[in-house]
Amino acid sequence: MLTKDLLLYKIREGQIYPQFVKPTDSNLLSVSDQLISVFEASPNTQRVTLLETSKHIIESTAGPVIVKRGLEKLLLDRTEFDTAPNEELIAFRQKLFIETSRLLSQDQFTDYEEYQEKVLQIAGGESQPEKEVLGDRLYADLPSCQPVVSFKTLSAEHLLHRYNAAQVQGLLLHCNSLTLNLTDSMTAELRQLFKYLRFNQLLCTIRHVDRHGDLPLQEQKEKVGNNDSYEITVDGPLNLFYKTKRYGMNLAKFFVAVLHQPKWEITAEIQFRNKKSSRLFLDESCGIRPISQQFLAYIPEDIQLFQEMLRNKTNDWRIHPGSQFIPLPGDFYCFPDYQLIHTCGREVWIELFHPWHQGHLLARLNTLADQTETSLILGVSKELEKKPMIADALETSEYFTEFGFTFRDVPTMNALLPILNSFVDSNS
Amino acid sequence: MDPLKIDFDKGTLILQNVPDTLKSHLPDILWDERTLTFRAPAYRYRHIISQLRAHDVAYEDSARQFTVKSFTNQKQVSPYPYQSEAIDAWHANGKRGVISLPTGAGKTFIAILLIADTQRPTLVHVPTIDLMHQWCEVLREHFGQEVGLYGGGQHELQDLTVTTYQSAVLHAPHYGNRFGLAIYDECHHLPGDQYQYAAISSIAPFRLGLTATPDRVDGKESRLYALVGECCYEAQVQDLSGKTLSEYRVVTIEVNMQDTERIQYEEARRIYLNFLKKERINMGSSRGWQTFLWKSSQSEEGRTAFKAYLTQKQLSFASTAKQEWVWKLLQRHRGDRILIFTQDNDTAYQIGTRFFLPVLTHQTKLKERNTFLNGFRDGTFSVLVTSKVLNEGVDVPEANVAIIVSGSGSVREHVQRLGRILRKREGKQAVLYELISKKTGEQFVNKRRRQHDAYQRK
Repeated sequence: MLTKDLLLYKIREGQIYPQFVKPTDSNLLSVSDQLISVFEASPNTQRVTLLETSKHIIESTAGPVIVKRGLEKLLLDRTEFDTAPNEELIAFRQKLFIETSRLLSQDQFTDYEEYQEKVLQIAGGESQPEKEVLGDRLYADLPSCQPVVSFKTLSAEHLLHRYNAAQVQGLLLHCNSLTLNLTDSMTAELRQLFKYLRFNQLLCTIRHVDRHGDLPLQEQKEKVGNNDSYEITVDGPLNLFYKTKRYGMNLAKFFVAVLHQPKWEITAEIQFRNKKSSRLFLDESCGIRPISQQFLAYIPEDIQLFQEMLRNKTNDWRIHPGSQFIPLPGDFYCFPDYQLIHTCGREVWIELFHPWHQGHLLARLNTLADQTETSLILGVSKELEKKPMIADALETSEYFTEFGFTFRDVPTMNALLPILNSFVDSNS
Repeated sequence: MDPLKIDFDKGTLILQNVPDTLKSHLPDILWDERTLTFRAPAYRYRHIISQLRAHDVAYEDSARQFTVKSFTNQKQVSPYPYQSEAIDAWHANGKRGVISLPTGAGKTFIAILLIADTQRPTLVHVPTIDLMHQWCEVLREHFGQEVGLYGGGQHELQDLTVTTYQSAVLHAPHYGNRFGLAIYDECHHLPGDQYQYAAISSIAPFRLGLTATPDRVDGKESRLYALVGECCYEAQVQDLSGKTLSEYRVVTIEVNMQDTERIQYEEARRIYLNFLKKERINMGSSRGWQTFLWKSSQSEEGRTAFKAYLTQKQLSFASTAKQEWVWKLLQRHRGDRILIFTQDNDTAYQIGTRFFLPVLTHQTKLKERNTFLNGFRDGTFSVLVTSKVLNEGVDVPEANVAIIVSGSGSVREHVQRLGRILRKREGKQAVLYELISKKTGEQFVNKRRRQHDAYQRK
């Protein structure tokens, strides 16, 4: 990520504009190529040598220095240095310092040179080292001397896209919350988005921004499809009380998942220390390509396992990864983990709650408290159930008694099938 | 009606079934649309529980994950009268509050006695890894039990645990309900933009802040008092000097640069100041440094000015003449235990390399840190060079001479450095030398920090 001093932005009339580079800029592509080559050749060279070489490129090529230093920073983030302690050198130092301490405590020297001479004698015995050699060796394991172990390479174009993403992430470090508008998102991209959201310990409120808002719930359900738009406000638990940048890092990491969505808009209030806040607005037209891997074709292991278990028990239901937002009472939405479809066409969703989803589960139970018609099954981890507040909430929830089950590692068919079948029974 | 339920969630409290009549008495709770529950910052736990009890409201508390624990202090040492006064003041303040005592006055010992009194699992917050290990040792010695560490790559919780502030900010949302007593060492750090969340995200009803200097330049000490409790006991360095602290004197040595260095210094400073003037950068303003960094990166002239800035700074920090003075003082204080302080790591290693001395910076690996610190304490090493890591808290009572080769303008930093040599020893006379480059910016900086009480001897 880019540090504050490497961010490039302009502020006009309360709006902040990150200054992106053109990923097709031939000069920057050439500079990036040169820098990448230096980093690719860096294994086994010392940090100081690597930095001197990259500094030479930064200073001798055309283009804004701040951009080139930013590119260098992103490449350094992909570089691993050998930080293991140099035991031999540590032992040498310890031995030498015991002697120099004795000399300084006990002996009177006519001048510094006499002291230096004495130390050189002690350090090298008969093969007395040069003073420069000893000086260079003494702290030769400082970070500047650490050798490069490996570097994760990338293309010049990808680096420039990463640079643009890092400009946005660098700004998001200074924001309190983020509002994200999504349209046309597909299943796998959304799954990835919510995975990032939960992994980064963030909370969100999802609202359907659409013309169907006034329709009855059942009709909304029929209308909700992939062409609708959702407004997702993302922040952390303490945002309720403080205008805090406490979750800036979490939001910056979350932004990576936003880049995978086909149509998106983000709005955030950016506030640097002792400065007035400015509004950041950005959408997919900024052209930043995703910088993380996407697993669109990948079927997660849990789904595979689930599919297998289900096949062994019944041929009536087929399971798929969660595919869309489900409207809930009170203008809320959830994004379930799985979708199950019966041969008769009945669709049911399952939302799972793991030990770290306490807040989410309580919210869901509250939202669904008076629901009798539903297609959403709640699966709750037994670990989460151990918490007295949760155990109590589950016990008193009529919804959970009817449409919920608990699981240890993965849901079992024994717990799930009776609930699934009750949907078909009630349907028929 | 179902009883009110309270639980801990990611550094906050969530409340269910809150009676309408109680809401006005709990001004710190808010309705959270995201989870459809009431929510409050975790640090308001004590206040909320007190209100529930005062209004006789039945409640189920799943938030609190600690119980009474017995900690027995295995060392029978009597506190000084002022330490007993501080302990009484903290109890009288409802087992909350800040105790402000000069470095070397035994704040850690007060904390030990209060942990034994309070009998609750305790989390100690410290600003540095060195202090974390030092506290760990002290707690182990006094209570003879395992001590957990959180920070510097370690993640182990015990009933007595020490953490860095930085680590606590990240992890308090997970373990903030496990401790009944929270201790904030060097607590003037706590009101920082991020560090405050270490205290906000914890439910610990009992809180102790320890510092030599609670005042902050930004005036945020009121935030400290809101999170930890008011300052309940305070004593100044002059009150204890010669009684529980060593006698001390401060010697300022004004050093003349060599002619060649003086010429280089003047030239570099001229380039740097001209650039500031031309770009109208006011380095005294809060954004001065950021503006300089930004503007100096924008042109060749700016980059030259930045190099000039570094050159003049480096020359005033570590001129040859200063190094000659270091040598004189090393010779003058043969047999003494000497700490040499510098403003930056480069100067520290420059001195360490020139005089073949152990250097302790944040770059020193843990094992060698311990070797250097223990070696200095037991006399194996008579001199230790350091940049800033020993500024705060780390206990080196044997040190009696400090040489400040370079430093910031911060009064706090200088008082803390002075504090390193003030721990009382029989017949000890502590001396702090400040090496100031004549006719440089250092002279103004020195004048500013001498305003502090520690320099105004009675």
